[in-house]
Amino acid sequence: MKLLKFSRSNRTHILAVGVILLMAVFVVRLFDLQILQHDYYSSLANSEQVRQLDLPAKRGEIYMMSGDAPIKVVLNETVYTVWADPHVLIDANAVTAAVTSAVGDKAVSNVAELLSDTESRYKVLAREVTSAEANKIKDEHLYGVGFTAGIKRVYPEGQLASQVLGFVNADGIGQYGVEGALDDELKGTDGLLKTVVDIRDVPLTIGSSNVNVPARDGTNVVLSIDRSIQNKAEEVLQTQLKQIGDTATGSMIVMDPNTGKVLAMASYPTYSPEEINKVTDLAALNNQTITDPYEPASVLKTVAFSAAIDQGVIEPDTTYQNKGWIQVEDRIINNASKPAALMGEITMQTALNWSFNTGAVTAAEQLSLDKTTVDSQARNILYQYYHDRLHLGERTGIELQGEAKGTVVAPTDVQGNAVRYANMTFGQGLNVTSLQTAAAFSAIVNGGVYRPPTVVAGTIDDVGTFVAAEPKQTNQALSSSTSDKMREMIHTARQQFGYNNTDPEGYYIGGKTGTAQTIENGEYTFKQQTGTYAGFGGSSSSSPAYVIVTHVFMKDTQLGGFDAKTIFDPMSNWMIDYLKLAPKG
Amino acid sequence: MNMETLRQRAHRPDYQIVLYVGLLMLLGLVTMYAIGPQRAQVLNSAYGVDSYTGTYFVIKQATSLAIALGAFFIMALVPFRLIKQYAGWLLIAGLGASALLLLTGNILHIDQIAHCTLGACRWFELGPLGSFQPAELLKFGMLLFLARMIADKMAKGKLNDWEESIIPILLVTATALGFIVIFQKDLGTGITLSAIVATMLMVAGVSKSVGLKLAGIALGAGILSIIVAPHRIARVMTFFGGSESASLTDASGASYHILQAKIAIGSGSWFGLGIGNSVQSTGYLPEAINDSVFAILGEIFGFVGLFGVLLLFTLTLFRILHVADRLREPWMQLVAAGVFGWLASHIVLNIASMLGVFPLTGITLPLLSFGGTSMVFVAAAVGIVFGMSRYTAHEVVEKKEAEHAGSMRGRRLRRTRDTSRRGAR
Repeated sequence: MKLLKFSRSNRTHILAVGVILLMAVFVVRLFDLQILQHDYYSSLANSEQVRQLDLPAKRGEIYMMSGDAPIKVVLNETVYTVWADPHVLIDANAVTAAVTSAVGDKAVSNVAELLSDTESRYKVLAREVTSAEANKIKDEHLYGVGFTAGIKRVYPEGQLASQVLGFVNADGIGQYGVEGALDDELKGTDGLLKTVVDIRDVPLTIGSSNVNVPARDGTNVVLSIDRSIQNKAEEVLQTQLKQIGDTATGSMIVMDPNTGKVLAMASYPTYSPEEINKVTDLAALNNQTITDPYEPASVLKTVAFSAAIDQGVIEPDTTYQNKGWIQVEDRIINNASKPAALMGEITMQTALNWSFNTGAVTAAEQLSLDKTTVDSQARNILYQYYHDRLHLGERTGIELQGEAKGTVVAPTDVQGNAVRYANMTFGQGLNVTSLQTAAAFSAIVNGGVYRPPTVVAGTIDDVGTFVAAEPKQTNQALSSSTSDKMREMIHTARQQFGYNNTDPEGYYIGGKTGTAQTIENGEYTFKQQTGTYAGFGGSSSSSPAYVIVTHVFMKDTQLGGFDAKTIFDPMSNWMIDYLKLAPKG
Repeated sequence: MNMETLRQRAHRPDYQIVLYVGLLMLLGLVTMYAIGPQRAQVLNSAYGVDSYTGTYFVIKQATSLAIALGAFFIMALVPFRLIKQYAGWLLIAGLGASALLLLTGNILHIDQIAHCTLGACRWFELGPLGSFQPAELLKFGMLLFLARMIADKMAKGKLNDWEESIIPILLVTATALGFIVIFQKDLGTGITLSAIVATMLMVAGVSKSVGLKLAGIALGAGILSIIVAPHRIARVMTFFGGSESASLTDASGASYHILQAKIAIGSGSWFGLGIGNSVQSTGYLPEAINDSVFAILGEIFGFVGLFGVLLLFTLTLFRILHVADRLREPWMQLVAAGVFGWLASHIVLNIASMLGVFPLTGITLPLLSFGGTSMVFVAAAVGIVFGMSRYTAHEVVEKKEAEHAGSMRGRRLRRTRDTSRRGAR
């Protein structure tokens, strides 16, 4: 070959041979690297070039009603974590200056110190930086500074309905309230991107094994809570509790009895979700209307009377002999008050007006075989109304996290004896939440239909189309005539006892107090009593437009149903105005 | 002035040189086209700008190639008499540029003019004209000047005389190496410069004893230059102690660089990932378009592609040797030999370090790497050889045993005056 025809004696020959030898070494080495060790280097390439990235789903936003229109009350804001790679950083001073001037207090205090650790590859310089602030830093074109986007929940309404809304924790998991209960729907489903990336983790469109499953964003939830009613409820609750006492706590539910929709749900003490980190008393996070079962006492006489009327064993004007006390088996049950004028024969209506326990127990006794005891037949019937029909002692299934079940002891239980059921007729010996009381009370006054309470009105898609939630399964708990009679009884009871003419003319308002001893160290105590008021209002006797249940409690203090009523009264009057109810002649 | 040269009749030059050089340049251009968009994206995001477009690199490379081709043909056509006459001035220009770089960079620290990284000042910044590396001019000047100087010593029959020849040659070489290795801290370029000188001396025919002593001196200087510089020790340690477990995430060390090069080459398999599918060029492999372009070629074109590249380089080197072997005049022969040394040292050092069979040196792969100065001067040097290929003898110029006796020169000229087949029409 002419190519290799070099002079044997010429040293160019040596050079040519050297070239051939080296090239031969290279070819062998290439064969080794590219063919024999291809799988090894290919797997190394794969391990550094292919990234599996989660495509975070956008968390659904939360709306409330403002009249008929949904408005956003929980929004997402994109925030950035600003970090630096001190190892590759070129100008640490410029980075320090840019970060501190752009984000101020959000920067960590020792930026310069962190950046001086040039062995480190990752130091966080600031968190929860807005995109405007992040852009200021980006404009400086600093090498070695990065931004990681995240989502922060923003609450334009401040602390409004905070216990209903709940919050999202640092791990992105919904806690408490709607955020907790509807976490799956709100968070959506993260997508997956498996892709070849460049050294800065920017996905490349290279290679055939890329996987791209787009994220499915979370559902935007519209609450049935009305912003104005909620706002007023919180204001009234706080104002009236302050009147009762500095340490008084309490709650209020406003419901539409005709739909089961909760219009407002307030608990005090409360908190602001923007300042969740500053909450010291964890009780403030609780929505007492669902988390704290207790004995609503005489408010539940309405259930006992409903059962007896619905079974046709009494009428509101049925009479009985009131002795101020009644014996059930070995136990004497007293009335809380014993006015001499009302001893002897009185009507069931009068018993409800004065909240005589004897009346409620007598009504229950009418359900028994011999009409004089709370026998097992009476207990079965009562349990059927309390539990099966009006769902006391059962979770209502409301879309809020942390709902308690409460307790209504079944007659089949050894504890479900005559004495307990006698106590249950006036709302003691059981544990129910305010929400259970409100839902049962709504059924009693709305024509007898039990509607599971809900805080969700529907959903709203990204273009703003509202889709109403499917109505929940209802049940006819009472006949409508029983309901009619009960409305009238409750209306009369409000008018006849402790009434101070606060209701506006031309409206039909009813309500019932409840005062319960509380259990301290396993014993009922009179020193500390809790008060409940359940009431309704509307234009006419046949159309209750709202149900309000209020509850007050203060440690070591005797509070009662009339304390709870001080919250009901102003709220009820405000509702009449807000709902623009027309007065009846 | 040697009038013999002018009287020689020219024949067709060796167009194979143009073919191989052209193919290599084209391959370099295709590679820039293939990975340009990824490089642009990496640089844009690294510096937070959007000034690099997908075609930035291919256009810049095409511009460099145009200038390089211009240099190639100018040097091929310019009379050798002038090249020989002004060789000294070229060397002085190279030394002067290096001195100016030392002054502006190492001493005055004028960042607008001298581009320095970690105390090593290797480049002049010429604004819109790009950048200029004085070491390349210095290499070019050394090539031409030393070829003339060694040829003169040969003519006097004093090539192996230490006082007359070897020490002066060493002094010139040491001066140039001083600038390159000590001040510019560029050991790779220093090695290639030494390779140029060594090749010329070897072809010129230094005696074995002188050659061994010179090799000893070079080895000593090389070891000295390594042990005084921590980063060189690190690179050598990496080479000898380097394991594959070198962290993929530590982007600083030489081990990372070589591992990334091996990943690029290794992922190529037989036929490569194809144009546009290089991932290693997106920031993983340092200097992907410059010093590491061989690895990227391996990723894109695979074993077959790299075999072709090696073949092209081998053919180019052989053509240069072929020309050197057939040139009648020692000066011309030495220039061709020096060009061979230049190209061969770049090719071998670059590829060997990419394959992990030699420590990382950081020099360009001739005709393929992105970059102006290196490309232009390599093209100019090969251009000279191409020009000289018009004056080759038909047969190998035999030196026989009289290599270190200058007396052979006249005899050779006589013999070969009219033996070119192509020239005889």
